[in-house]
This record gives sequence, C-alpha cells and structure tokens, in this order.
Amino acid sequence: MTAWLKEVMFPSVIFLANGKSTKPKRSPMVYVVPILLVLILISMEITGFDFIVLFTRGYQFFVIVGRMIPPDFGYIPKLINPMIETIMMSIIGTLVGAFFALPLAFLSSDNIIKNKIFLWVNRFVFSIFRTLPILIIALFGKYVFGLGSFAGTIAIAFFTWLIMTKMLYELIETIDMGPFEAVESSGAGRIKTFWVTILPQILGQFISFILYNFEMNVRSAAILGYVGAGGIGLLLNEKLGWREYDKVGMILLTLLITVYAIETFSRMVRKKLS
Amino acid sequence: MIEFKNVVKTYPGNVKALQGVSCQIQQGEFVAIIGLSGAGKSTFIRCINQMHTITSGEIIVNDANVTLLKGNELRQFRRKIGMVFQSFNLVKRTTVIKNVLTSRVAEMPLWKSILGLYTKEDKLLALTALDNVGILDKAYLRADTLSGGQAQRVALARCLAQKPDIILADEPVASLDPLTSQQVMDDFVKINQEFNITIVANMHHVDIAQKYARRIIGIKAGKIVFDGPSETLTDSDLTNIYGRSLKHDDLMGVE
Repeated sequence: MTAWLKEVMFPSVIFLANGKSTKPKRSPMVYVVPILLVLILISMEITGFDFIVLFTRGYQFFVIVGRMIPPDFGYIPKLINPMIETIMMSIIGTLVGAFFALPLAFLSSDNIIKNKIFLWVNRFVFSIFRTLPILIIALFGKYVFGLGSFAGTIAIAFFTWLIMTKMLYELIETIDMGPFEAVESSGAGRIKTFWVTILPQILGQFISFILYNFEMNVRSAAILGYVGAGGIGLLLNEKLGWREYDKVGMILLTLLITVYAIETFSRMVRKKLS
Repeated sequence: MIEFKNVVKTYPGNVKALQGVSCQIQQGEFVAIIGLSGAGKSTFIRCINQMHTITSGEIIVNDANVTLLKGNELRQFRRKIGMVFQSFNLVKRTTVIKNVLTSRVAEMPLWKSILGLYTKEDKLLALTALDNVGILDKAYLRADTLSGGQAQRVALARCLAQKPDIILADEPVASLDPLTSQQVMDDFVKINQEFNITIVANMHHVDIAQKYARRIIGIKAGKIVFDGPSETLTDSDLTNIYGRSLKHDDLMGVE
C-alpha cells in the first residue's frame, strides 16, 4: 500500500532496453481525488445528508408510489384543459422567445459585431439574466402580471429568449463567413447581409433549437403552477397538498405521456432537418 | 479610375502589407496583380473597396476618396464594385439564383430583403447574368451541387447582377484545374470587353496572368516593382518580383 502510494506521488524513472530513460509525469488524480473527497464531506455536513435516515425513511417513497396505483382515471376530463393550457403556454412562449432571440444573437456574435465594448457589455448583461432560474422569472411574472398562465407564458418566453440567444450566437460564430464578406462587399448593410447569407446557413439548426426548447419548456411549464403561474402544475401542487395520491398519479401519467409524445415528435422532425 | 497615392497598410503586430504604393488604373483595364504569397496582393485588392482600411495615403476611386467613406456612403460606393473570391463564397445551402440575387439586397429596402421580395427585373437581371457566364440551366439547383468552375461562374454572375464598374477578383482561379481556370478567365475577358468593366485580379499563376490580363502589376514585399503591359514582362522582371527564378508551382501550365 505505501509502496503504491509512493509510486503514485513520485513516479520512478523508466529505463528502456537501449538505456534511454524517461520520467513519467505525476497523474493529476493525485490532486483531484483528495479535493473531491473533502468537497463531498463538507457537502454532506452542510446539507445534513444522513445514510441512516435514507435507509429508515426511504421506503416511504414506495408507499406514496403505491398509493398512486391505480391512478384515478375518472379524473381525466378535468385534466385535459390544464394540460392543453400547459402545452399552449410552451408553444407561445417558445415562439416569442425564439423570435426575439434572432436579433439579440445577431447583436451578440463576435464575427458580426466588431465593437468589442458593446459586445462585452451586451453579453455580460444577458449572462447575468441567464443565471435566473425559470421559477424565479415566473415569480416576478406573477407579481407583475398577476396569477395565471399569462405570467407563466412570459416566463417561458423570457427564459427561451436568453437560452436561444446563446445557442444561436455560438452557432453563428462557427459559420462560414465567406458569403457574408461577398455580399457585404456588394454594398449591403450588415442586417441584410446577415439575412441572405447567414440565416440560410443556420435555419435548419434554428428550427431544431426551437423544437428542443419547446421540449424543455413543456417540462418547465408543468411545474410553473407551483408558483401560481398557471398550467397543470397548479393541480399537481393542490392534489399533493391534499394527499389525493391517486389523482397525483393520474396527473403524472398524463404528463409522462404528453412529454414523451412531444419528445418523440420533436426528435423525428429534428432528424429530418439534420 | 482607381488611383493609389502612396498607400501604406500596416496590420496589428507591425506587419507591413503595403509600403507606399502608387498607381493608376483606368476604366476598362484588365490588370493582374502578381507576387509571392504574403507580398500584399490581397491587401491591395481589399483596400480598393475598404474591406481593409488603409493606414496612410489615399485611394481615389471614380472621384471618391475611399479612405473618408463611412456608413451609408461606403455602402453606396461598394455597390459599384463587385468582388470574386478564391473560395467562391457562395451560400451553399441555397439555390444558385438566390445566391445571385443576394447582390441585389444592397439596393432594396430592408423589409423586402427579409421577406425575399425580389422584383421581376431583379430576377431577370440575375438570370441574364447567369446566361452571360453560360450556366443559365443551373439556376434552380442548390449551390452545393456545383463543380468548382460552375461555382466560380455563379460568383461572377452575382457580381454582374450588381452592375458594377469594377470587379475585384482575389485569386479567382487558384482552386480550379487548368482547363476550368481558362474557361473562367475567358468569362472574365468577355465581361471586361463587352461591358467595359475594370477587372483587377490577384493571380497566383504567372502564365494565366500573362495570357489573360493586358497589364501586370508585380508586388514584392508591399511595393510595386513592375507595372506595364503584360507582353513586356520579361524573365528578369519575374526573377525580380519573385526574388528567385520561377518554379513549376508558379505556373498553371497553359500554352
């Protein structure tokens, strides 16, 4: 054991058959493993992580799941409208976000905007906004626009706008700039040049991004109800609070099927696009 | 007319691309710029339409002082100058005709460019330009299905649809084979003579330059070391421009 540790910390010189020698470098794991161990221990201390509680209470999870079965199928008619509302929130939010992402991505690409200061300030401001979780944005939305799905839709649109902008400008920065140079040399301004040379190159990816964001947004929309921002999350929160687990089970099953259907559809379309 | 007055261009890192270049090019001339790579050929061409801004000196093109142009004035000025590139610079994911039409957006209002509302005249102009370079039948194919020679012709048509006074060509045939190169060069000659468009082309291959251009400008380390009709270019001039005798690589192999 000690011999092994010594070899890891201070690797010995290796001699080749022809007498040449080489000294192996110390593996970076020598530093990484202890740091990780310390971090894990500190995290366990701070979060009160307890293996005993995990074992003594863990079975409760299966008790709750057990109460969800069988789900209350009679509850379906009341679920349809909130589910549709959730999907509509995602569709509108995603499209509005995507619409505004294109101009902001244009203003954030370093191969199009040459003013370094503008670029830096622009990216800095929006990267700060991007640190806000969607639930927090929805909370703000609720205070500004009142309870309901409008606040949720705005939250989704805002969140999508920020994320899509970043996805788009990183894509634009890898694009072939030859055509851009060609049309710019003909005297067209940057917006027109962007439109006729860069947009055709990114359009397929752009649509794929929209679908991908839509997928993610349906999932977020399902929990936005927790902060009163509309959709099926409102019901989920309510039924969990009243411990009507058979209804909770039905809500989760509906969500599962819907999200899976949307993901499958989106994957099919995106495959066609690429 | 294009006039260079003691033009200096220094890139960041003190790289001197042009060191006091002066010359005049009249309307309708066909000029080839030759020299080693890194001698300043590309810079020379790109300064004419301010794709690069010069460090000092003056460039006058058709009474406009290029150095002073900015914003809208610069864009107006560029409309009269077409440009062709070694790598064609087409939007590969779209059709040939749409590529040619991109040179019309400079003249259109923004909303029409965004909606792709090209007028009938624009479309006719684009198709005529394609016909001028002999590939009208490729108009509705996607640009990535074309061969190199065809792609360069589309680029040339895109230039023509702009109705330019001057065409700047940056190594237009360097990535084409000898036969296709000569066909594309023939197109340049035709355009030069038929429409009296000035052509300034960077040429990597000396034999191509000498065969097609009527005037040769030799650049060495940012300075003009030869300027005259192409038939007066001698072997000793070439040795001077290249700093060595010609190698197989400097010729494309045309008779």
